[in-house]
Amino acid sequence: MLEISDLTVAYGGVVAVDAVSLSVAEGSITTVLGANGAGKTTLVRAISGLVRARRGSVRVAGTELMGRAPEAIARLGVAHVPEGHGIISEITVDENLRLGGLWRRGRADQRLAIDEAYELFPPLLARRHLHAASLSGGERQMLSIGRALAARPRVLLLDEPSLGLHAAVLAQIMTRLRALSRERSLAVLLIEQNARSALSIADDAVVLSQGAVVARNQAAQLAGDDALRHAYLGF
Amino acid sequence: MRTFLILTVDGVTNGFIYAIVALALVMIWRATRVINYAQGAMGMFTTYIALYAISHGVTYWLAFVIALGAGFLLGAGIERVLVRPVESRPPLNIVILTLGLLILLEALAPMLFGGQVKSFPAPFSRIDLSIGTTQLYISPFDIFVVGAVLLTMVVLVLFFQRTTIGLRMRAAAFGPEISRLLGVRVGRMLTLGWGLAALLGALAGLLIAPAIFLYPNNMDEILVFGFTGAILGGLDSPVGAVVGAILVGLVLSYVGGYAGSDLETIGGLVILIAVLMIRPQGLFAAQRQRQA
Repeated sequence: MLEISDLTVAYGGVVAVDAVSLSVAEGSITTVLGANGAGKTTLVRAISGLVRARRGSVRVAGTELMGRAPEAIARLGVAHVPEGHGIISEITVDENLRLGGLWRRGRADQRLAIDEAYELFPPLLARRHLHAASLSGGERQMLSIGRALAARPRVLLLDEPSLGLHAAVLAQIMTRLRALSRERSLAVLLIEQNARSALSIADDAVVLSQGAVVARNQAAQLAGDDALRHAYLGF
Repeated sequence: MRTFLILTVDGVTNGFIYAIVALALVMIWRATRVINYAQGAMGMFTTYIALYAISHGVTYWLAFVIALGAGFLLGAGIERVLVRPVESRPPLNIVILTLGLLILLEALAPMLFGGQVKSFPAPFSRIDLSIGTTQLYISPFDIFVVGAVLLTMVVLVLFFQRTTIGLRMRAAAFGPEISRLLGVRVGRMLTLGWGLAALLGALAGLLIAPAIFLYPNNMDEILVFGFTGAILGGLDSPVGAVVGAILVGLVLSYVGGYAGSDLETIGGLVILIAVLMIRPQGLFAAQRQRQA
């Protein structure tokens, strides 16, 4: 579903993402791990068109994304949950959710997608008419993921969803993600610093260091590789 | 008592005129988070276009529509050509740009239309109504202005709160990058926001000109008073802007009536400075300012 090949991004002379190739099949989760500054966020921002790549290709179901604007890429079925939630706190919870699928045709289906998001994350329902600013960290993350899903994407990019969440809330969200990916044949690219939680739900894992892929394997295998864990993942 | 009554009615009707400018400022603020200091001058310019049309045999109402349309195109065009290149820069750049635009339009108008003071027609009588022998201190044109402002206010509230374009526009203003990730065409929203705000500015110009005449900087004072009203109302709320503008109208009317008309403008500036110092979020602002 998502195929990235030879993707290279540079800020001035500094190469942030160095010839990265990876693919995510539909219904599966690939996690990209690595320390702060390894180039993980730049990688997702290049996929969704927020930064321009110097070289390489990103395809979704065969359609090339490079050179397209972020709003056009979103309309091709790529939903990006940015680092730090990226909810719009001045509008209500319901308005945030509506915004997610607004570009899609069909009012009834838009409403249905929003109801599904409330079903998925019930705490949001009670707060639907409040400004999103009033939500807790966990609820913000739920809102951001729910809003991305309201667009019924084919590809879901998640940038550090664990940031600032309690372990219990995080585990809950991760379990939901695992189920969602299977149910909806969603290709999920999960960027994480919290390797332990990401590896628990991912099918495949890629480790980035200084912008380049230094290891890739099935998630279970990678979690069992002690030397790698100590060198790059810190646990 | 009679003086007080006259000053009050005067203040409210003037307040409604300031309210149109205030609504235009709220419109552009909500759509783009920018204060457009050229808002008044743009309205002056489109009023000249209306007068030009009228002097060439066009009816008042057709000229009215032409001016609104010209306002929309002027606003949208300015966003596309002048504002777009500085949009990603610090907000100060846009502030300076709109100030430059104000000066440019006020210099351009006399070159194109002549610099002398011109009268501008009103669509309804400006002579005060009376019931029997009781003078009402309000004219049919005043009623038209009040009706137009209230209608505009209601339409704006519904537009922002009830339509999907209004939602997109608010989202694009608060979080442009996030909005783009959600498929919102932010660039189009900004163009539309500038266009609609300029359309309201054009309406302001048309409704004010019969009372204050038409000349290149006829809107300067009105912009300050409208701005004060919008700030009083918290800049984010159409209803707040109208209430704020009426308060400004009342205060100015009392100052002018009891303390002398020389002090009227000073009165407006004193309110503006006082509000900015004591309650910069406005009297009715419910929301806190966005942080970072």
